[in-house]
Amino acid sequence: MSFELPEEVEQTRKKAREFALREFTDDLIRHYDETEEYPNEIRKKVFEAGFITLENPWNMLVTMEEFCRVDPGLGLSSLASVFGAEMVLLYGTDEQKEKYMYPTLRGEKISAVAVTEPGAGSDVAGISSRLDKTERGWILNGHKMFITNGTVADHYYLLARSSLPPKDKRHHGLTLVIVERRWKGVNPVKLKGKLGMRATDTAEITFENVEIPVENTLGEEGKGFYIVMTFFNISRVYVAAQSVGTAQGILDALMDYLSRKPQSFREMESVQFALAEMSTMVEAARNLTYKAASKVFAFNPDPVLTSMAKYYAADVANFVANEAFKIIGVEGLNTRVEKLYRDAKITEIWEGTNEIEKLVISRMLLRRLSEAK
Amino acid sequence: MSSEEQKLLINVIEQFAKSELESVSLKIEKEGLPRPLVRRLAELGLLAATVPPSEGGSGIDVRSFSLILYTIAKYSPSVAYYIYVQNTLVNEVLHQTGRSDLIPTVASGEITGTMVHDINMNSQHNVKVEGTKLQGENEYVVLPSATYHIVLARSSERSLLVLAKPSRVERKKPLGLRALEFGVSFYDSEVARENVLIQEKAEEALARHLDSSSIQVGAIALGIAESAIDKAIEYSKQRRAFESYLYEFQPIAAVLSDMKSRIGHMKDALTASEGGEGTVMFKLHALEIARLASRIALQVHGGYGYLEDVGIERLYRDSMFLTLLTSNYLRDMKAASTNLISKDAFRI
Repeated sequence: MSFELPEEVEQTRKKAREFALREFTDDLIRHYDETEEYPNEIRKKVFEAGFITLENPWNMLVTMEEFCRVDPGLGLSSLASVFGAEMVLLYGTDEQKEKYMYPTLRGEKISAVAVTEPGAGSDVAGISSRLDKTERGWILNGHKMFITNGTVADHYYLLARSSLPPKDKRHHGLTLVIVERRWKGVNPVKLKGKLGMRATDTAEITFENVEIPVENTLGEEGKGFYIVMTFFNISRVYVAAQSVGTAQGILDALMDYLSRKPQSFREMESVQFALAEMSTMVEAARNLTYKAASKVFAFNPDPVLTSMAKYYAADVANFVANEAFKIIGVEGLNTRVEKLYRDAKITEIWEGTNEIEKLVISRMLLRRLSEAK
Repeated sequence: MSSEEQKLLINVIEQFAKSELESVSLKIEKEGLPRPLVRRLAELGLLAATVPPSEGGSGIDVRSFSLILYTIAKYSPSVAYYIYVQNTLVNEVLHQTGRSDLIPTVASGEITGTMVHDINMNSQHNVKVEGTKLQGENEYVVLPSATYHIVLARSSERSLLVLAKPSRVERKKPLGLRALEFGVSFYDSEVARENVLIQEKAEEALARHLDSSSIQVGAIALGIAESAIDKAIEYSKQRRAFESYLYEFQPIAAVLSDMKSRIGHMKDALTASEGGEGTVMFKLHALEIARLASRIALQVHGGYGYLEDVGIERLYRDSMFLTLLTSNYLRDMKAASTNLISKDAFRI
């Protein structure tokens, strides 16, 4: 058993680290944090450098980690420009791949996943956006919230209710469709004033009588919930990598601070204990993330491991942000810890809150227990 | 002050905060403290609350003042911190160092003061004094454009507390308490003899003053915590998921009631405390509870909590910013350990 990643992946990690340190300058990080603009120029450079590929997902995973280690806002915005591509890869038709997925992988288009609604966040099956059948396809009416890439995406992979569910089967009757942002009736509005991750584009989108051709149905009608859950099994390991990167970035800032302090400060046992606890937790989160990823990338996902990795890594990122600030104190305001502290919080919320992840873990474990009996 | 009088006073403050602060608390985070609000704080006697009336203050006891800070922080942590700076860090120090002549202008809100010291008590960030010349900079100043700066300055042999004006100010966007200006102050001036407030061992005197006002910082932190948890409880009664209200779910109800109860116990301790030295641990506990409560409140609010206009994320920022401005974990823990265990405690 080896804990080493293949040489190719380690080379990608090195390249990603060098890229982030070179391109995510302090000035750019500050600019996008202050203006909340979408960093399109950075996104283009990331494509040109060849970091976005579905060929070897490990490369994307370590790139996410290394980019977020320097700046989660810029890192995630650039890498998430192909958000949802895996759903088309696994469930899409050849035409959908040609028209929507490949252009995103070539950096020509941007995609988004539109699932969350004002009244349904964690409760995916509770969504109320409606798809009504027509002769040519669907009419969509609804309202989506907190959609990453919402105002910059060319198209959305959108989940809506296409039929009334049977009693106690709320996750039935949901269908995924591909909706283009420029179509009539689509109205995205950028949400500004976020705590962190301010370089990411986040939108509230309303859909009013939007006509969707039948060929834009993604996967089987009525099975959208299952496709989205399969996708979350993939996307959650990337969010776990985002958390690991964020936590490592905070540790880097702490180590840099300690290197500038007198030896007597570094010898304080309170400081040493804090450093030991933080670095142990970050390493544990990284290993858990890689283990979950190894299952997902081998087409044998284990939702328990994925949820453990996503929940634990997010928890660690926020713990480390708090503890590092405690050690560095007010001087931390002049380090990257200030921004990473604000950026870290979202990892506990998006792509499944920590509470949802805990429920997934426990319910799967209990189900396995009853199946074993 | 009798308990009845105290109750009446806190009622007045609660009414003021509810009617005049609550509706503008998010607006002032973006636009800064308006002058009419500062004048109103002065009218209420809050800017020199604990200074004796004979010196231009309101003569309010420390316990009641802490409850005032707690009450105001529930509505606006920035305003509570502003009052703390004007009252405790400026007017109390002016009073204790024989410059009560300056108190009326600060107490009336006509002029603003600030305290400039390095929170980490770290000699690398000194403002230095040589002879009568004051030079240097401090990177972490709340209200850097204030007229009166009470500055901790060091020379090779001693530390002094002087009254000075900055030669230049650089503003920065602070992590929290954004209604208050924050930034770097630069000093390059002569210090007149009457502006030397403490001639030597000022660092020790200031440390004692800060320690003795720990309960007030704790009061502000507790106000933040209570506000965060109350907002989360309210939201949990409105928001539904999985066809139920959030408060019906065991983990959410448990964490909210646990926090509400912990804050209640801390408030009891605050109400009973006379303040003074030895309250450092109260401050550390309250700051920790504020950080935890705001993290939980943000979590309960989900994505909505992440947006400025909802008013939750600012408590998350404010609680950490307040921690950074008012505490140095290692120094505070040493103070608490030597007080509670032995003078050799926390040595290694």
